[in-house]
Amino acid sequence: MVNVFNVEIFFVVFRETLEAVIVVSVLLAFIKQGLSEDETVYKRLRKQIWIGAISGFLICLILGCAFIGAFYSLGKDVWAKSEDLWEGIFCVIATVMISLMGIPMLRINKMQTKWRLKLARALVVSKNEKKGRFAFGHWTKKYAMFLLPFVTTLREGLEAVVFIGGVGLGSPATSFPIPVIVGLIAGISVGVLLYYSGSTLSLQVFLCISTAILYLIAAGLFSRAIWFFETYKYNQKTGGDASENGSGPGTYDIKTSVWHVNCCNPETDNGWDIFNALLGWQNSATYGSVIGYNIYWLAVMITLYLLWFEEKNNHLPFMKNLKLRQLNPLYWMKGKNKKEVSKEDQEKLFEQLKSKEFANKLAEE
Amino acid sequence: MFVFEPVLLAVLVASTCVTAKTHTWNFTTGFVNANPDGVYERDDVIGLNGQWPLPVLEADKGDRIELYLTNGFEDYNTSLHFHGLFQNGTNSMDGPELITQCPIPPGETMLYNFTVDQVGAYWYHSHTAGQYGDGMRAAFIVHDGSDDDDFPYEYDEEFTFTISEWYHESSVDLIPNFMSRFNPTGAEPIPQNFLFNDTRNFTWNVEPSKTYKVNLINVGGFVSQYLWMEDHTFKVVQVDGVYTQPNETDMIYITVAQRYTVLIETKDDTSRNYALMQRVDDTMLDVIPKDLELNGTNYIVYNESAGLPEEYKVESLDIFLDDFWLEPLEAQEAYPDPDYQIVVDVAMDNLDDGVNYAFFNNLTYVAPKVPVLGTVFSAGEDAINPLVYGSNTNSFVLEKDEVIEIVLNNLDTGKHPFHLHGHVFQTVVRGPDYGEESTPVPYNASEAHDIPENPMRRDTVYVNPQSYFVIRFKADNPGVWFFHCHIEWHLDQGLALVLIEDPLSIQSQQNLDDNWKRMCEVNNMPYVGNAAANTENFLDLTDENVQVKNLPAGFTARGIVALVFSCIAGILGCVAIGLYGLAATDDNPVKLSQDLGIDEEFIQDETSSQLSHNGSKDTTEKTATELLN
Repeated sequence: MVNVFNVEIFFVVFRETLEAVIVVSVLLAFIKQGLSEDETVYKRLRKQIWIGAISGFLICLILGCAFIGAFYSLGKDVWAKSEDLWEGIFCVIATVMISLMGIPMLRINKMQTKWRLKLARALVVSKNEKKGRFAFGHWTKKYAMFLLPFVTTLREGLEAVVFIGGVGLGSPATSFPIPVIVGLIAGISVGVLLYYSGSTLSLQVFLCISTAILYLIAAGLFSRAIWFFETYKYNQKTGGDASENGSGPGTYDIKTSVWHVNCCNPETDNGWDIFNALLGWQNSATYGSVIGYNIYWLAVMITLYLLWFEEKNNHLPFMKNLKLRQLNPLYWMKGKNKKEVSKEDQEKLFEQLKSKEFANKLAEE
Repeated sequence: MFVFEPVLLAVLVASTCVTAKTHTWNFTTGFVNANPDGVYERDDVIGLNGQWPLPVLEADKGDRIELYLTNGFEDYNTSLHFHGLFQNGTNSMDGPELITQCPIPPGETMLYNFTVDQVGAYWYHSHTAGQYGDGMRAAFIVHDGSDDDDFPYEYDEEFTFTISEWYHESSVDLIPNFMSRFNPTGAEPIPQNFLFNDTRNFTWNVEPSKTYKVNLINVGGFVSQYLWMEDHTFKVVQVDGVYTQPNETDMIYITVAQRYTVLIETKDDTSRNYALMQRVDDTMLDVIPKDLELNGTNYIVYNESAGLPEEYKVESLDIFLDDFWLEPLEAQEAYPDPDYQIVVDVAMDNLDDGVNYAFFNNLTYVAPKVPVLGTVFSAGEDAINPLVYGSNTNSFVLEKDEVIEIVLNNLDTGKHPFHLHGHVFQTVVRGPDYGEESTPVPYNASEAHDIPENPMRRDTVYVNPQSYFVIRFKADNPGVWFFHCHIEWHLDQGLALVLIEDPLSIQSQQNLDDNWKRMCEVNNMPYVGNAAANTENFLDLTDENVQVKNLPAGFTARGIVALVFSCIAGILGCVAIGLYGLAATDDNPVKLSQDLGIDEEFIQDETSSQLSHNGSKDTTEKTATELLN
């Protein structure tokens, strides 16, 4: 089962597709609202959006296939030698990726805001710049409705490719196609649902459930990572691959064992590998893997509490001037602290965009 | 007639007295440098009197042996066992430590004093830890009369060749790594080489048209070997000291501790030389390293100027002589239904320390605190109660002159050569190799078994993978006799049982001398009392040595706690995600559509429905709406 359907890959694709669909839907909503009177302009821009989105998607599909193909043909032998060590590392990478992408999914509405903001900024800012007709700024503005969805789908797509590469490193190539297709379908469906339903509570519930599943997977992956590292160490000492010899005594290190059942081995017994992928099941749990699992959940809960607190009070508990994103070194390195748009500026931007005047100007060009 | 009879008797007695000699040997153990395979010189090979290989000991039937063994090691005990000798009446000289004696401590000397009443090829080796794998073993040949005059077959000259595996590491290092939780499958260490007469590529100089009597002894501690020759045949005439009907074969399969005495006739032509091949039974090795030489070529040299022969390969290794169908020269019918049957199942498994052990009926042999023979002598009437010998020693008490049958079912997928001290036994049934079956095939007495009329008698016999054997013998040699797998690694894992044969006769006919007792005293080991060294109540085994407890099956308390905690953590985590996800913020959908300016009526409708869903958030929403309008 895991050999044909990699759950992690499904969620990565689902998430990236959803993000791309939201951007496209925001753009579509924008032009529909602004330009619905002018049939020809509206149709032209709509066409631009669709061409941009689809061409971006196609390019990253080609790149993705090539990338992953190369990945597998080059790398497989190197990893096979110390499989447990690599599987452990891949599990860590997958855990980190899923953890980082999971929580933002719960704020998918924020993503909409973010993208609308970006769009507004792109249009309004370039509008205010006085440049020649053939300048780059003018060109980008003219084809903004093509470039924005193109760049977005391309970016999200490549991100997905990299993520899939990272998450699926330890799995065979056969586990890729189905979750990718299902992830695309699911992502597009949810995106469309979001666009037409104007977002309802049931959508939020759906997102909560899928995110919870995602974190169950991530916790299991983290636990597995530790388990793989321990198995690697044990196998180095025994000089063999103990757990692949079966489930009986002698296939695990008794000194680190918390429980061991002589069945249900996810590495050899069919069915249990799904249980392992979804919930991190191990028939031979170690202190490391059990403690790791619990610590992961503790970390998730603490992070959620901090996020919630910050959303409510606009700062972290006990630290009035500190926000969660300010703890990220990249925040300072990229100079984001200067670029942050205040609430008032946001409102102003939207006001500008809302005016019919602006939309008409855009149509004229 | 009456007059002459006593004279004749007197002459006979006199002649035995004249021929019987006493051999006095003084040996001191110690580490020596040796490089038998020409690849690696070890400095921890065990020699006697500074020499290695050890001397081949020779005696005639009826001779007395007085072997003084001094332990010349600084840190290790030692012991000596004369493999195959019955030690009739001298059980305390048999050698295995904590069975018939305490080990010889450093600096002490033990006298092994006994009479040899058998003939044939035997060998002597340490019965302590893995010492014989480190070189403390050699042949012990007993001639049938002076100059072997009574040997039933004609021959010109006698040779003794040993074969064995060889390690570059000492058993002192190998055993801890073997008996470790990091060797959970119980994989035996892989030898570095296979020796012939303690060397590689041995040269045997022969003369044409001669008949040689050759004693072939596997003095190894692990693997069986095949032997075959180029254009020559083996005529087997004796196994484990029992003469057989001559049996000609091209190939001999010889497990550790087995002996084959064969006659080899040389050619009348000296124009060339021939190969004498040895090959390890590689099915017994868990892994076969690329650089391990499985074949060994030795040379039968007729003509030193003719050049050495090439390696001589055979198509198949399946053509070896099946010792089960050998017939002893002195016929003895298979014993009828036994008086006492011992059924044991052999299995390998792990205990709670993660180490792989070997078991007879789920019990791995754990040495008692008191040598079993010491318990026999101190237990009085209780000596016939197997309980006094401990609950973890696999002890069985046999009554005088009973016919004993041992049924051994091998649940393991390996071959095991089993050796019984103090006896030769009839090999009544041996099952075929069931190694390919999904489950072991145990012995089924109700099935028809092809029992030979005159079954082979020997002291070491192998059992096939997942198969069985049945052996019978008569309990006519009072003593404490070890029955164990002769693979030294498996003995370390506890694949042994103890037969206490006719304990009351031992008490009345034998005794323990002061030298024997001194070995225990210097070691601070008790030699009276039951297996737990209890001298008051022989049936009280409190504090006896026992095996490590069994691996816990499935979920123990800590496992359940861990699993419950993990489940709770997972559920709480999911709840936290749900709470966070449903905690609507100022970025709620209503405001978003307002941002985009989507028609007002729609918003109004949606807002009212949203309000009913998320009552508490209405202030935020209202503020947002007001701001935008």
